[in-house]
Amino acid sequence: MTSNLVRRAVITLALAALAGIPLVSDDLYYQSVLMLTFMLAIGASGWNIMGGYAGYISLGNSAFIGLGAYTTGILAAKQGVSPFVGCLAGGLVAGLAAAFLSLVTRRTRGVYFVIVTFAALELLGVAATTWSGVTGGSQGLALPLPTWSMAYQNWPFYYPLLGLLVLTVAVSAAVRRGKLGLGLFAIADDEDKASGLGLRTAVYKMNAFVLAGTFTGIAGGIYAYYVAFLNVAAVFDIVTSMLIVLAALLGGRGTVWGPVLGAFIIEPLANLTSTSLGGADAGAIRLLLFGGLLGAVVLFLPRGVLPTVTGYCRRRQAPRRVPTRPAPAGAAGAAVPAHGPRQDGDPHGDVADDVLEACGLVKAFGGLRAVDGADLAVAAGRVTGLIGPNGSGKTTLFNLIDGTVRATSGQVVLAGQRIGRLGRPARAHAGLARTYQLPRLFGSLTVVENIVIPERRLSFARLWRHRVTAAERARAIAMLAELGLAPYADTSPAELSFGQRKLVELAQVRWLDPVVVLLDEPAAGISPALAERLADTIRSLAQRGTGVLLVEHDLPFLARLCQRVYVMANGKIIASGTAAQVSADRAVVDAYLGDEVALASAEPAP
Amino acid sequence: MTELGQALVFGVLAGSVYGLMATGLTLTFGVMKIVNMAQGALLIFSAYLCYTLWARFGIDPLLGGFIVTVPLAVLGVVLYKLVIQRVQRIDQGLTIVATFALALIAEAAIALAWGPNPAAATPRYFNQAFRIGSLTVPRAQFYTCLLAVGVTLALQAILKRTWLGHAITAAAENPEGARLVGVEPARVGAWIFAIATASTAFGGAAISFLYQFTPDSQDVWIGLTLSVIVLGGLGSVPGAFAAGLLLGVAEAITSTYISVRWAAAVPTLPILVALLIRPQGLLARATRQDTGT
Amino acid sequence: MNKRQRSTRCLGAAVSIALLAVSACSSAGSQNLAQPSGPLTIGMSLPLTGPVADVSRSGYQGYKLWASQVNAEGGLLGRQVKLVVLDDGFDPNQTAADYTRLISQDRVNLLLGTFSSLLNAPASAIAARQQMLYVEPSGGSASLFTRGFTNLFFAQPGTTTSLPDQFVKWITSLPASQRPATAAYVTQDDPSASPAIAVFQARFAALGIKTVYSQTYDPSTTNFDTIAAAVARAQPQLLIQGAVADDGAQFVRSLEKLRFSPKILFQTNAPSDDTYPAAIGAQNTQGLFAAEAWSAKAAYRGNASFVAAYTKMFGVAPTEDAANSYTAGQVLAAAVKAIGRIDQKALAAWLHTHAVNTIVGPLRWNSAGDPEGSLLLAQWQDGRLQIVAPQSAATTTTVVNPKPGWAG
Repeated sequence: MTSNLVRRAVITLALAALAGIPLVSDDLYYQSVLMLTFMLAIGASGWNIMGGYAGYISLGNSAFIGLGAYTTGILAAKQGVSPFVGCLAGGLVAGLAAAFLSLVTRRTRGVYFVIVTFAALELLGVAATTWSGVTGGSQGLALPLPTWSMAYQNWPFYYPLLGLLVLTVAVSAAVRRGKLGLGLFAIADDEDKASGLGLRTAVYKMNAFVLAGTFTGIAGGIYAYYVAFLNVAAVFDIVTSMLIVLAALLGGRGTVWGPVLGAFIIEPLANLTSTSLGGADAGAIRLLLFGGLLGAVVLFLPRGVLPTVTGYCRRRQAPRRVPTRPAPAGAAGAAVPAHGPRQDGDPHGDVADDVLEACGLVKAFGGLRAVDGADLAVAAGRVTGLIGPNGSGKTTLFNLIDGTVRATSGQVVLAGQRIGRLGRPARAHAGLARTYQLPRLFGSLTVVENIVIPERRLSFARLWRHRVTAAERARAIAMLAELGLAPYADTSPAELSFGQRKLVELAQVRWLDPVVVLLDEPAAGISPALAERLADTIRSLAQRGTGVLLVEHDLPFLARLCQRVYVMANGKIIASGTAAQVSADRAVVDAYLGDEVALASAEPAP
Repeated sequence: MTELGQALVFGVLAGSVYGLMATGLTLTFGVMKIVNMAQGALLIFSAYLCYTLWARFGIDPLLGGFIVTVPLAVLGVVLYKLVIQRVQRIDQGLTIVATFALALIAEAAIALAWGPNPAAATPRYFNQAFRIGSLTVPRAQFYTCLLAVGVTLALQAILKRTWLGHAITAAAENPEGARLVGVEPARVGAWIFAIATASTAFGGAAISFLYQFTPDSQDVWIGLTLSVIVLGGLGSVPGAFAAGLLLGVAEAITSTYISVRWAAAVPTLPILVALLIRPQGLLARATRQDTGT
Repeated sequence: MNKRQRSTRCLGAAVSIALLAVSACSSAGSQNLAQPSGPLTIGMSLPLTGPVADVSRSGYQGYKLWASQVNAEGGLLGRQVKLVVLDDGFDPNQTAADYTRLISQDRVNLLLGTFSSLLNAPASAIAARQQMLYVEPSGGSASLFTRGFTNLFFAQPGTTTSLPDQFVKWITSLPASQRPATAAYVTQDDPSASPAIAVFQARFAALGIKTVYSQTYDPSTTNFDTIAAAVARAQPQLLIQGAVADDGAQFVRSLEKLRFSPKILFQTNAPSDDTYPAAIGAQNTQGLFAAEAWSAKAAYRGNASFVAAYTKMFGVAPTEDAANSYTAGQVLAAAVKAIGRIDQKALAAWLHTHAVNTIVGPLRWNSAGDPEGSLLLAQWQDGRLQIVAPQSAATTTTVVNPKPGWAG
């Protein structure tokens, strides 16, 4: 494509220009401004992987610079290790710190995480100052001066930093177009949903954080050698952290080139203001400028320069095709003919066929027992229903089974394996999937990406493959075609109707090839036609051997699909059997159905 | 024994002031889930205002604190309407970054207005102390302790007993429901910010004569106030007070028995420990997590 | 679609290249003034804004006075001296960038140093790398002089390592019955204070004075009550504080609150500040010791006229910072006049082998640029800061000992 060619040409040109500057001009000051810009760009690109892709905003990334700088400095000053080797050690230390930080995110997210990064930066500063035997403390740490001749000036700093920047951007691009990036964007959108789809979010996050930290740390090491004197306050500095965030936000968080662009705007601006502003108030004015810029970006340009510009250009193109309404149900779409339940009124509870068993599940919130000793079983290839009044504990039961909530007691067995201790991704890997009453899809991903993202197995090599391989795309499009949603393949889920989103969520579940599927009120809020298509999909799922557990208030819908129904009230299972059996049960009528409803009279669908 | 007693006295007195400084932050987070990184800057701003009142007009800083609540409340409402409301609509996650930007702007504005030189109000009692047995109780700290207790009680009363307080709590827990009963969350938000920044005025008054301050002192205080609210439960006013006391005592004990140098880490360490173990704070009620949207 | 994306990319590239060009032009705009017949440019980066802005102003004025006096006498090497001043806001990164710019862009003929060890550390490293002479007025942390730089010179009689010299000498001169038996050491964690306190502690311990309390506090500390209480409990007869700025006054106020007054009290830096008496109470200054680099009343050559000229030019009496800058200028001028040309290596070599007479007395340096003198010992007596040692600069022969208790 020509646009790609042009892009490559522009990037090559810019790189050539940057690489050539030290050769044609011996202006040291100019080189030093560029070096600082490279550093800021590396820091911002790294931050972008954490905060732009994965959505974890950190105010403490200058700590990586500090760790890298001090590791390199200590090795150089105390052990005589060349800083060019030492900076790799600096990157390692910073990477380890980043890995540790990613572990923190298991419990600490969102705004709490931001506070933790802020506090960690401060504490690292205090630790570095107090551990003065190693770091020199408040006296600072002096590195040996460079030994090469002045003829080479700053080239040994300049080119490594430029090279590191190129490497960082290349890695950031590879992450973004690969499955790692896909997972990170999903985590940013809805981390719990992502882990429920089998993504080992902890591993994804650790990868992202370590990449961010390592490159920034190496840059910090090179910087230490350049500056030749380290002071704790200067390197573990909140203002540097702020500039990193500002550069990434200004340029465009979540894009590959945005942080670089942001750095190239911010750093020369910073230098310009510090050298041209004079007078007693210069420092305050600079602070005002950058604080104001940060605030303005957040308020008025939240997406950043690059996305805003490209979005504007895209809007000026031919108007986008609006996908036409999908073919109605029953026409060429459905591949599986609809039919009624396989057995009528056969009260089976074959233990041998049960793929999911809940035994004595209890969940207590303080004094309230939301689930009070629930037992149920879901057979393979069968659709099992769960009904009950609101507040009876159905959603909590689902949450216990899929791992969102830890059970107070009881066990869950999936295909013979106890999954009570497994995390959500592990349960998904074991073959458990779930949909939600209000469908949860990843807004930053296209519909096809939403469908292909679930995974049964984590492999590091896979993380670097393209987001959607050709084979995956073909399979996903086929699924969408079955659902009549093929025209929406590359749109954002935000453009789908409520019912269409439910279908896509179901497709996600099917992608996992699950052993058991939990469906939370799938027919709620959609038209009868769409509900029929949904029912078809559910039946085809069951036909493939998947066990389906279905919560519904739409009783005819339930009756058509389910071979077995459980009734829940006040956290307990009060009845089970076929739809006809439970609707006749006195206790069920009292608790839920009322006298007017007779499930048995619902006709099976044609 | 008197060593411990003295350390406890200093710790409680200093800690009560820490709790006082964090009340504004507690309110905005507890009710609106907004971490206001500009809290340190607001404290310093009030401190400078109280200092100016004292230096120019001879008004005692304790009294000055009451006077300063008015401009601070107005400032709070302005900030809410101009900045906070806007950014909440755009991207909630960036609110903390927006308040951080506000903190920088505020620091710059303060430096432009008052200059970078350290300031400290020195009313007559700043150098005096009571003697109780063998213990010394500095007068200035004692007065601020009383002030802190008073402000905390007053805020609790407002939140728990007045209609406004109930409206605030309701709007925080369920904005849609609150709207249905005539409580408009946006207006309530303005009230919360007004009350939060007004209470910050007292913290600033305390700083103005207890410590020396410069425009960049806000870095020190934001770290400390964050620690207080994290320990005490982001949202609980009595929790913040208790956490402040805990921090103050911990600082004093560390300084006396371990090392003065490590006492500097005491304010920040709890943030890490608490957030890693119990993010909702020590004194907050545990709420059901799985029914979130 | 291709056209739009292409134009976007081109626009983006053009913008970034333009930005680079703009920043290049903005800095390349400064003229190259180093022609042999034009003014002699002397570059410096000072913390004119930021936390030490009030202190640096007088330092800057010291430089300005020196430059105007030199120019009034015909300049250096027949050329008028021009100061090229940049502001680093007390940020060492900025200082490094500023000195790089002064050397490589503005191509100044000579350099003069900035204030505080924090800033001088990176600046002197850059000067060393570029092989330019670097005379610094203040920032006496001994670690600056252990890096083997041959271009670096300190324009004060002594660094932090020699700060304790005169005071220790005086204590040693006391008859054994009058010498303090116990001592407490409290210092801020700062390169201009803590190394000196460490030297005090070592030398007094060698004298047999028992250390009963020794702690370092964080620079952000503002409440000294806990430390003061601990000191009071330890009941030292001698108390030494490594203060940097206002922590000196704060600490004394805490001592006053706790009603503990040591027999002998020595503080670095703080007591020389003119706001000090007001901060702790004017009567409470009686008997406090401090170390000074310069005294307005010392009878060194040129000192009195310096004081008079400064007061005339700026309307206020000069501070120690102003004197330090002036001294640095004197050192530079002496070397330039002696060598007769701008040759950085030759200038440095000359300074290593000669003494320079300045307003703080004759200065001479060892091979690392560490001055071979010692700072003056000063004491507050009857509301005035007097010099008690060494004799060549002493303004009084009496020494107040012991220090009276705090006045209400």
